[in-house]
Amino acid sequence: MDLLNQLETILESDPLIDEVGLIHPSQFVTLSNECGESGNSSVDDAFGPTDTKFWNRDHKLGISTEVLLPLCKAAKSAFMDAMKQYKMHSNLSDDKHEDENIVIDSLLSCQSFEHEVMKHSRALLLLSCDFGTAWNARKLLVLKKPQLSVFTDELFLSTLVLSYSPKSEQAWSHRRWVIKMIAGNCLNLQQIVAKESELVKKIAERSKMNYRAWNHRCWLVSYMTREQMLHELKRSRDWAGLHVADNSCFHYRRLLILRIIESKPNKQDGNFSYDVEKYQVLKEELELNEVLIKRYIGREALWLHRRFLSLCWIRHLTTMCGISCHSEQKTSVDNEINIFLDKEFCLLDSCSLIQDTEFEDFKAQAMYSAVYFVWLIKKIPQFRKIEMHEKLKVGNLKNILHKTCSERSFLLDILEER
Amino acid sequence: MGKLAVDKHVQYILSVEKKKDSFESVVMDHLRMNGAYWGLTTLDLLGKLDSVNADEVISWIMKCQHESGGFSGNIGHDPHILYTLSAVQVLSLFNKLDVLGIDKFSVVGALAIMGSLHHVDKDLLGWWLCERQVKSGGLNGRPEKLPDVCYSWWVLSSLIMIDRVHWIDKEKLVKFILDSQDLENGGISDRPDDAVDVFHTYFGVAGIQCRSAHRFAFIYFTNSAFAVRFTMHAIVVGLSLLEYPGLKAIDPAYALPVDVVNRIFFSR
Repeated sequence: MDLLNQLETILESDPLIDEVGLIHPSQFVTLSNECGESGNSSVDDAFGPTDTKFWNRDHKLGISTEVLLPLCKAAKSAFMDAMKQYKMHSNLSDDKHEDENIVIDSLLSCQSFEHEVMKHSRALLLLSCDFGTAWNARKLLVLKKPQLSVFTDELFLSTLVLSYSPKSEQAWSHRRWVIKMIAGNCLNLQQIVAKESELVKKIAERSKMNYRAWNHRCWLVSYMTREQMLHELKRSRDWAGLHVADNSCFHYRRLLILRIIESKPNKQDGNFSYDVEKYQVLKEELELNEVLIKRYIGREALWLHRRFLSLCWIRHLTTMCGISCHSEQKTSVDNEINIFLDKEFCLLDSCSLIQDTEFEDFKAQAMYSAVYFVWLIKKIPQFRKIEMHEKLKVGNLKNILHKTCSERSFLLDILEER
Repeated sequence: MGKLAVDKHVQYILSVEKKKDSFESVVMDHLRMNGAYWGLTTLDLLGKLDSVNADEVISWIMKCQHESGGFSGNIGHDPHILYTLSAVQVLSLFNKLDVLGIDKFSVVGALAIMGSLHHVDKDLLGWWLCERQVKSGGLNGRPEKLPDVCYSWWVLSSLIMIDRVHWIDKEKLVKFILDSQDLENGGISDRPDDAVDVFHTYFGVAGIQCRSAHRFAFIYFTNSAFAVRFTMHAIVVGLSLLEYPGLKAIDPAYALPVDVVNRIFFSR
């Protein structure tokens, strides 16, 4: 219990702690040496150089791995007890008592147990971040005092947990719960959403392809305005270009693009400006994708992204035409599609040459480009109109598939169907 | 091709259960029900379910049931659908669904709902799933990720359910799985080349980060017991789906041995 008290005292005394980590006992020596060097004599030594269980400086908290097990047990036990007491007393205060004193007494006890539950659950969650029951308890108590500052505290705790456990689904989920609770009532929702997106970006930087982080960012999109979506797309463009193997990032971009395409204009804006924007967005993304494909050879995520973009592009061209289309416009749309497919053929040609068998990347590039083409053939009806190209290209495609991924026989089957 | 070291793996699973006071056990306290499902299903597929004390397990499970009918991950925790599914599955393994006091139709319904197949484009899904197989023969969970034996369950069962398992190279996958065993201690490493770090890590092992004037060495913990049982379950199930000799057949939809599922369906 003493250990738990120490931890909770630190947390209480330094509410700005934004990072938690586990430290091997031998690290304390290193840290205390460094502390000596920095000569910060005004700092309280209680959890400073001589302590070998906790480290607290500059709003960082380190916990020795040696005390982790007893601390965990103590926190769990304290939390469960507090929760039991709280439930008992909240039942009592719910009951209608004739004696006012009893009611007041149990209300006060209730409050003190609430405080205990919050205190112990916070310590527990820093040690066992997916302890669902503790997150649940906090939600229950927060709902009793649904003020913005209380909700903000919950986000802060979640951020702290994510600092050492960036994949904790409970921590991410708790954020979504908070946002759902405050969405209706707060004025600065856009700001909060923007900050959340920024948090994901920071976490994604050190925790690559963190599915839960990106999933959270995707979830935020439903709270974004069209302008915000366009802004997000633009803002994260450079990051995407520097993390071309991060499929989650491109998945996020696909979602943004999809939402932008699907968004219906209100009466003032009209269809035209939206259509122009959609065209721009797709065109720019296709261009970016091509640049990256040529620069970073054999990257699966880029080719998968292209599958989506091409389909969108063709669909966009086709739907822009619409039902009430003149035959002239139809022909021009067909032309646009043919131009696009011609360019894709050029891309295939440039990628299918396996220059070097020593580097796997060239082979991978050829394979991905060939599979991408089979995808186009399968998914785009307009491809069927291109008779001449087929004779020239399908043979080449089959060659590449045989050379690079012969076990995927269904791909060759798709070509046979043509 | 290597062989499946059945006895070593059984010993490993049983030993894990005994270490109730280890750090791993305490930290994974809240999802013990899942651990039970993984460990016990694996034992059943290996034909060794009788190595555990059924009464002990069942009495513990029943202590996890709440008034609502749902099950929690461990005694005293909140109920959750994930643990409810695991509890029902484990009770099925022991043929003790009658302790739930409900008729078997409801159980089948519950299992079916929780594991239900939605109407999907099988070609599209199959295409994406078979692209999970990488050059080494292993399966990954998402594009650009390394293969991991635990996907032998998720990806393979999905492919079987939509009848597209012939789109992957099964032999290569079996070899990949067998090569992942830790033949010395029992248990499994997630990739064949992981010699030193045998286990999945719950928290990763990180290097040194610099924060202002101080350096934090964030040393995370390997959560061996949790991860290894989970991974072993996937492996044994994967091999079962690939019809590896000597293993009981598993139903890909219900994630339970076929004979257990048949028992539920046919003994009304």
